[in-house]
Amino acid sequence: MSQPGHDSDCRESGQAAAYVLRALDHEEAERYREHLDRCAICSAEVSCLQSIADSLSFSVPPLEAPNVLRERVMTVVRAEAELLHTAGAGDRAQSDRPRPRTHRTQLLSAAVAFGAGVLLGALATSTGSEAPPTRVIAAQLSSTPTGARAVLRQLGGHTELLVFSLPQPPPGKIYEIWLSPRGATFLPTDALFGVTHSGSASVNVPGNLAGVRQVLVTAEPLGGSPQPTSSPIIVATLRSS
Amino acid sequence: MNTIKVYVTRSSAKLRKLADEELMGLICHSEAAAFEILLERHVDAAFSLAYRMTERRSLAEDVVQEALLSVWRSSASYDHSRGSVRNWILAITHHRAIDALRRDGLRNHRDVSDYGLEEHLEAPERTDDEVARYDEANEIRTALDQLPPEQTSVIELAYFGGLTHTEIAAMLDLPMGTVKGRMRLGLEKMRSRLSPPESVL
Repeated sequence: MSQPGHDSDCRESGQAAAYVLRALDHEEAERYREHLDRCAICSAEVSCLQSIADSLSFSVPPLEAPNVLRERVMTVVRAEAELLHTAGAGDRAQSDRPRPRTHRTQLLSAAVAFGAGVLLGALATSTGSEAPPTRVIAAQLSSTPTGARAVLRQLGGHTELLVFSLPQPPPGKIYEIWLSPRGATFLPTDALFGVTHSGSASVNVPGNLAGVRQVLVTAEPLGGSPQPTSSPIIVATLRSS
Repeated sequence: MNTIKVYVTRSSAKLRKLADEELMGLICHSEAAAFEILLERHVDAAFSLAYRMTERRSLAEDVVQEALLSVWRSSASYDHSRGSVRNWILAITHHRAIDALRRDGLRNHRDVSDYGLEEHLEAPERTDDEVARYDEANEIRTALDQLPPEQTSVIELAYFGGLTHTEIAAMLDLPMGTVKGRMRLGLEKMRSRLSPPESVL
């Protein structure tokens, strides 16, 4: 029976087993992943061993997950699904395609030429005749991995930025929120944030947003910056002009 | 002002008939009901793996919650050509568990209150599919147990213990090359035991 990799002249092939078992440290794993992009021998070795390593997850004693766990997960999922549907951002698989305008009641939409080509949408909702209206605005993201998304949620005078599946900021950097009343004017805020392991964050947008046209996010040096040092990665348009 | 919310909903009965890959297509459209069906199918396997690795019920729950929410939020990144949905979910769970073990510095540290938990949490009467999976688990477990002990131990320390090869080498007082070599030999032996024999021309 052939033994892939044993006749290899690649010095790195010995890493394959540790790699599929996730027993390389973070930097080693990153280097080996880059090596796999260039090395057919190691790629073949990893392919052979990966399925066996993955099968180990099936070998554990079967247990029943607690109901409270199911409920916790579904509570979050349902809330996010509702938020995304309300913001018109529910179709994550097609987020790179321009979305057609709709005629849904009270749906306001604006297109912003921003590279990714995603339409922004806002839907005004009301929770009752006397309750302040909730407004949810889908934000546009540039150059982010599939699945990342952001929305602004306004309730009364309070505005919150919610992000999902956003990558960690680059090393030595932090995300900063900016307010833009018009054109290329960026007003700094003291809203600096990172994201959880899963890329989530919920951040209060400070300041009076009357007269603000856009809320933006950039990656800045730790401690923030008085002026943006990079292009915005998130743009939420509150009004078109 | 009243709001009209329009959702496309599907009955649970119809969703249950869909394959995992079809459910993933709906989940990409943020259909929570489709995700709930997927969760029901795989949450036990994910929890079993997380508990085996962390040996702490509360941490296992946190790991699985993080993993499943990651599946929900990055559903569009699932690539069926790279494996089944089940494999994908368990791979994410495994990653999260390793992160938790390495982040919290936990190594087989078990809460006293968790002893006997396996009997309480053991899966109940199984369907035919679940029986098949149970048999598959036994087959894989047997293949692992039949390896020479030095190969079983390095594989278990890595995969279930979340240890790096460097840590395993230090723990067992072995050269790193020996540790990696035992991992490779062990996985290749398991592969030959679990795969049908290839015909040699």
